Amino acid sequence: MAQLTLDEVTKTFQDDDGEIIAVDEVSVDIEDGEFLCVVGPSGCGKSTTLRMIAGLEDITRGEIRLDGQIINDQPPARRNVAMVFQSYALYPHMTVRENMAFGLEESTDMPDDEINERVEKACKDMGIFELIDRKPGELSGGQQQRVALGRAIVRDPEVFLMDEPLANLDAKLKAEMRTELQELQQDLDVTTVYVTHDQTEAMTMSDRIAILNDGVLQQCATPLECYHEPNNLFVAGFIGEPSMNFFPTTLEGSTLKGEWFEYELSDETVAAVEGTSDITLGIRPEDIEFVQSDVGPNVFDSTVHVVEPRGNENTAHLQFDESMDEQFIATVGGMKQLKAGQHVKVRFPENAIHLFDTSSGSAIRNRTLDEIETVESVV
Amino acid sequence: MSIRDGGFIDELRSTENSRIGLYALLLAGIAFYLFPVETAVMTMFKTESAFARTLPFAPPGTDGFTLDALTTAWNTLRPGLVNSLLMAIPATIVSALLGSMTAYGLTTISWRGQVGVVVLIIAGIFIPYQAVLVPLAQFWFQVLPGLLNGFVNTVFGFITGGNWQYPSRNGYVQLLQLSITHAAYGIPICTLLFRSYYQSISDEMIEAARLDGASAFSIYRNIILPLSLPMFAVTLIYQFTQVYNDLLFALVLVNEPASQVATQRLAALTGGVVQSFNTTMAGAIVAALPTLLVYIMFGEQFAKGVAGE
Amino acid sequence: MREILSRLLATGGRLRSAVSRDESDGDQLATDGGATVKTTRGDSLRNSLPVEWELIESAPFWLPPVLLAGFFVYGAIAWNFLLSLTEYNGLGGAQYESFDLSMYSRMLSDGAFWQAAQNTVVLLVVFTVLCLALGLFVAILIDQQIRFENTFRTIYLLPMSLSFVVTATMWAWVYNARNGVLNQFFRVFNLEGAIVGLLRPAGVNAEVIQWLSWNTTALAAVIFALIWQFSGYAMVVFLAGLRAIPTEHYEAARVDGASTVRMYARVIIPQLRASAVSASVVLMVFALKAFDFIYALRGSQPGANMDILATMMYRVAFDSLQWAYGSAVAIVLFALALLVIGPYLYSEYRRGEL
Repeated sequence: MAQLTLDEVTKTFQDDDGEIIAVDEVSVDIEDGEFLCVVGPSGCGKSTTLRMIAGLEDITRGEIRLDGQIINDQPPARRNVAMVFQSYALYPHMTVRENMAFGLEESTDMPDDEINERVEKACKDMGIFELIDRKPGELSGGQQQRVALGRAIVRDPEVFLMDEPLANLDAKLKAEMRTELQELQQDLDVTTVYVTHDQTEAMTMSDRIAILNDGVLQQCATPLECYHEPNNLFVAGFIGEPSMNFFPTTLEGSTLKGEWFEYELSDETVAAVEGTSDITLGIRPEDIEFVQSDVGPNVFDSTVHVVEPRGNENTAHLQFDESMDEQFIATVGGMKQLKAGQHVKVRFPENAIHLFDTSSGSAIRNRTLDEIETVESVV
Repeated sequence: MSIRDGGFIDELRSTENSRIGLYALLLAGIAFYLFPVETAVMTMFKTESAFARTLPFAPPGTDGFTLDALTTAWNTLRPGLVNSLLMAIPATIVSALLGSMTAYGLTTISWRGQVGVVVLIIAGIFIPYQAVLVPLAQFWFQVLPGLLNGFVNTVFGFITGGNWQYPSRNGYVQLLQLSITHAAYGIPICTLLFRSYYQSISDEMIEAARLDGASAFSIYRNIILPLSLPMFAVTLIYQFTQVYNDLLFALVLVNEPASQVATQRLAALTGGVVQSFNTTMAGAIVAALPTLLVYIMFGEQFAKGVAGE
Repeated sequence: MREILSRLLATGGRLRSAVSRDESDGDQLATDGGATVKTTRGDSLRNSLPVEWELIESAPFWLPPVLLAGFFVYGAIAWNFLLSLTEYNGLGGAQYESFDLSMYSRMLSDGAFWQAAQNTVVLLVVFTVLCLALGLFVAILIDQQIRFENTFRTIYLLPMSLSFVVTATMWAWVYNARNGVLNQFFRVFNLEGAIVGLLRPAGVNAEVIQWLSWNTTALAAVIFALIWQFSGYAMVVFLAGLRAIPTEHYEAARVDGASTVRMYARVIIPQLRASAVSASVVLMVFALKAFDFIYALRGSQPGANMDILATMMYRVAFDSLQWAYGSAVAIVLFALALLVIGPYLYSEYRRGEL
């Protein structure tokens, strides 16, 4: 069992100007075998959190527990964690074999032939067996990455820690490695904490995502929960590419009055937002519908400013008023053509909007999930 | 899979201990690297009797304190100091300038085959000076005077009457010769220092200047030279130390007693029969003063020069 | 407008490929459209030269200093070699009529030469190895993120800033038999007698340690003093090497379970190979020319125990005025230096580090 618990973990630094809080009372319970992605923008504290789990940074306050035992004061060597660094940190003077054997030689009493067996097996699993006697300098970036992974796997640790391991790979390789990593983790069933700033990686690979901003945990939930039921403005804006459109509005009666439009709310929704007057309306680009006429409420006129064709879909940047720069984004399927300059009518369906309290940022009402369908399997 | 066991308390304790041990070692290092200098400084202020009485490391007591040794040493060495500075400062400046220019022509401007020239220059840093001493003495004392005598007396014979002699025995001429020699031998190391610096200057900046129509000279004067100021500091400091500290060339090229440089005079002082350590220590410190002061003020530049070599 | 632009692009393209660092003759920047570009007189001159334009325009910068240094270095060495083939000694000019190797055969049968050569080699090896070891040790200590790091580094490097004459003067007192610093130190702890017994050569009776006279201690004393002075250099080189190793290597080793000693031994120190090689080249060459220190310590006749080829050469040439013989000894020194720097420079050149 490798259950990893972060309990109000805090990290502060002393600076000339005072105290900097890098990580602010972060609490997460990570299940055994779970793949947790820690995401956030640069400087949000995700790497620091990872390093505290590894033991490379001291914990200012709070506890980190592994299987119920507090490991705050244990040196890295004794925590039985394996880490994959962003720059791979392969020892340039050792061959692949020696690099991978190093951890086992240093932290266990395993006999040499057993170590060798393990190393060779891991190499075969990672598809790098032919490279086993080469030095890192002779390998490509992707190969080095696999060696770094293999080095971690071979140690059979309690926890895998990964610090943006795919950051140095080109786009195609990244996509390949994402799938491979996910499969690997599922096969090995080892608790994994994976730090990245790329929300695509987080969405596609993890069992759960922990989103950090300025050291504070914003939400810790499954990818789809974060996507469809964000806790606050930050999560809603961070998850999803292209990101959610936000419109600041004021509630008057049952209407949200924004700068460019007025949005009619149903009675149900009005009841839900009772008491708040400054509300931010959010809607995801794919939920904006293009309609032909003013059928139903909440249809607005707009002009297409720029179209980005991506092949599988088209991203349209729309404006309510041509004279202003404010734009919002809608996406449609790749087979639907749009042109810049077109006048179109868009509809924001009420079941797809998210409402947030503008001042606090927290979500008041997220979209409904009635539209989710399951694809039936065939016997 | 077992993990090597060790008490976690032991680990904690050993971290504390290891820091204390670390600083103890570092302080021992200070004692090791400074004791000759410290004892010298202490001794130069001691009277003879105080010298006999006290430990080398101990300072002179109020009754054992004297400035005699220092005064004697100063009087003996001051002319040497002046000569050294007179010789070293021009040599250093010339070396640095020539090194900068050479490095520019071999690095910033790139042409095929230049690495060969670079190799020859860098090899020049490493030659043992013994291998050029005899020719050097020959050149300055025999060949050059011979050539110049012949030339001057022939071409300007109507002024000199055929009697002009190259003033080999003139102390200032000897110092000048020494200066030129040091300037020439300093070119390789100065070139190396500037070369590694120029290699780090962005190519694109130079190419942009080219596109703007700048000539090689203009690029050197307007871009490279101003950017080189930090490296000039390093080179000047480092090379000055090397030239000032030299003994071998001075021994060979300067034989007029009045023109001897500080290192020569100190060597004479130390090699003297009567060993009065107060005086020799005072002499050592006095002779070391210029480079010591330079090092204390510009230690970082000196370290960069050392690392560059 | 388009024409001007395309002509500008074409000129820029040619200039760019001229100054680019690619040895391969360039990719010309494609010009736009069918614009013709008139070749100016300067271009045709430039293109018709037998050598690269850059070589010519850079020559004023590097040629004079290189000629100057070349004359003083390579010219002088060649001249030195010539002299060693003559019989030149005493006053008067050299005779360049007949060349022979008599100086070299004289050298080979000269006991003093072999003694000096042996001392030189011992000095070279012991000094280099111990200096590297001490420098590495001190560099690792300083790399431990200590407070006052700059102060420690400055103090450890200070001896390097002193002239060897200055340090020889100081060490002359340290090693003095009667009231030298070392002997007084031992005296205070009553260790002097024991050490005398330990170190004195057979058949010598003494009550004080004569560091510079005994054959058991003389060369070692010199080597020790030189290590004292030069280990700061090794420290600087190794410190730079240590700092070039990314922190993540240290961290990865820790996470992998290595203790501090194992981490240094297996991960860090092997990566300092390049620093060690370049430092040892400089150290070895220095050991070959270590004249100043010994001369200031004991003059040009330091005795068989610490006579090295460098001091022998000076003595033979400038004290006895046997110029040709001195030149021969100097050539041997030069050959030794070549043995050290030749392979090093060649391997650096091959690796493109120059």
